[in-house]
Amino acid sequence: MDYSGKEKEAMAIMAEADKKMKTSHSLFGSFFGSSSKVEEACDLYVRAANMFKMAKNWNAAGDAFCKAAQLHLQVQSKHNAAVNFLDAGNAFKKADPQEGISCFCQAIDIYSDMGRFNIAAKQHISIAEIYESELLDIDKAIAHYEQAADYYKGEESTSAANKCLLKVATYAAQMEQYQKATEIFEQIGTYSMDTTLLKYGAKDHFFKAALCHFCVDMLNCKLAVQKYEEMYPAFSDARECKLLKKLLDAHEEQNIDAYADAVREFDSITRLDQWQTTMLLRIKKTIQDEENDLR
Amino acid sequence: MSSDFEAYEQDFGTLTAEITNKIGRIPKLAGEEKTQLVLNVDKQLEEVRELLEQMDLEVREIPIQSRGMYNSRLKSYKQEMEKLEKDFKRSRIAYSDEVRNELLGDDGSSSESQRAHLLDNTEKLERSSRRLEAGYQIAVETEQVGQEILTNLHSDREKIQRSRDRLRETDANLGKSSRILTGMLRRIIQNRILVFILGAIILLTIILAIYFNLRGH
Repeated sequence: MDYSGKEKEAMAIMAEADKKMKTSHSLFGSFFGSSSKVEEACDLYVRAANMFKMAKNWNAAGDAFCKAAQLHLQVQSKHNAAVNFLDAGNAFKKADPQEGISCFCQAIDIYSDMGRFNIAAKQHISIAEIYESELLDIDKAIAHYEQAADYYKGEESTSAANKCLLKVATYAAQMEQYQKATEIFEQIGTYSMDTTLLKYGAKDHFFKAALCHFCVDMLNCKLAVQKYEEMYPAFSDARECKLLKKLLDAHEEQNIDAYADAVREFDSITRLDQWQTTMLLRIKKTIQDEENDLR
Repeated sequence: MSSDFEAYEQDFGTLTAEITNKIGRIPKLAGEEKTQLVLNVDKQLEEVRELLEQMDLEVREIPIQSRGMYNSRLKSYKQEMEKLEKDFKRSRIAYSDEVRNELLGDDGSSSESQRAHLLDNTEKLERSSRRLEAGYQIAVETEQVGQEILTNLHSDREKIQRSRDRLRETDANLGKSSRILTGMLRRIIQNRILVFILGAIILLTIILAIYFNLRGH
């Protein structure tokens, strides 16, 4: 793959497109066939951008796509503009996340204008992922995930909405916004209970909700567990429920060893994932704190 | 009568004791002695059978009220005899411990072998319980994987439904647009015909005007 050659080609095409744009701004051009000139320029920009992508020069590719998108906006072809903004965003994602986010935002505006909320929601998710991984700004990520979930709910795609809501709840619990997290988990749990496909995942959601309750207050957790058992009888058979009961007992007796034993026993069969371990650790710390207080 | 019965009982008791003793000894012996002892036991079993028959006759002569107790005793004796016969048969084909030891080399330390046996058993138990746990783990993992797959399937199903609806909309829109296009085409043809007709009329008028002008001159 001759990358440098492609880059040179791409630059040449960009220059050509720029020239086209300049010439079309003359008076003569704006009367006759200016639109076709602009379209040709757009095509050239897109071609150049693709070549930059081949050469892995993401910044330049993103720039080219942005230019093409703006041209499309000028000629009022919103669809094409939005598509090009998307491409620009994807290219920038790899090089300059901030630019990428701005491109995505522009695309979202266009799409929500047109009423295509599904696609807009997908872009919100992409932005949220960038915040999650590259910029590590959890608050903004949560905000975007929430937006995406709202859009999805508006378009009746409940399962996609649930996926986003799950992420929101996980992050919220990490940031200690337990109220929000419990509400979301319970909501998703009750929804999953009813669908035949999802009911095997429902116990997982109830378990997470109960953990969040536990982080707040033990009594909450007890009531919650009872409520879930009433709502969903199969929950009481699950190993998670048994673990919860053991943890509740250990917490009542302020017995750290019993707590650790129960957790270890559960872990030996199914590994606990990162989030669950963090939550359980927090609960364990509350036991230790209470013990210290009693002393 | 009943004293006869009791005499029979005593005989029965001694005979059965002797027979059990001999049956115990049979496996340990071999060859001549064994066959001798086997014949002996056979004869004694015959005697016991005859005894039982006579006891039976005696019981029948006893009046009905007191028959019950004797009957039950008789039944137990008969069962004992059957058991003796079975033991006898088994002992004839049984191998004694001593023969076994001779074949396998005299161990003499039976308690140690028992201990090794027990340790072996415990190890086997532990191994099987470990395997069971591993199997349980795999089952739980499979359940989780299955659950993930189900969630994916659910979301895919929604996507497919949405695409299908959108496809139907697009289809309807395409139909509408094709109708509009045919309408446009029709109108274009109409316009063109009108233009031609008007052009023809104008041409005609011009020709008539020129003609009248020329005629006027």
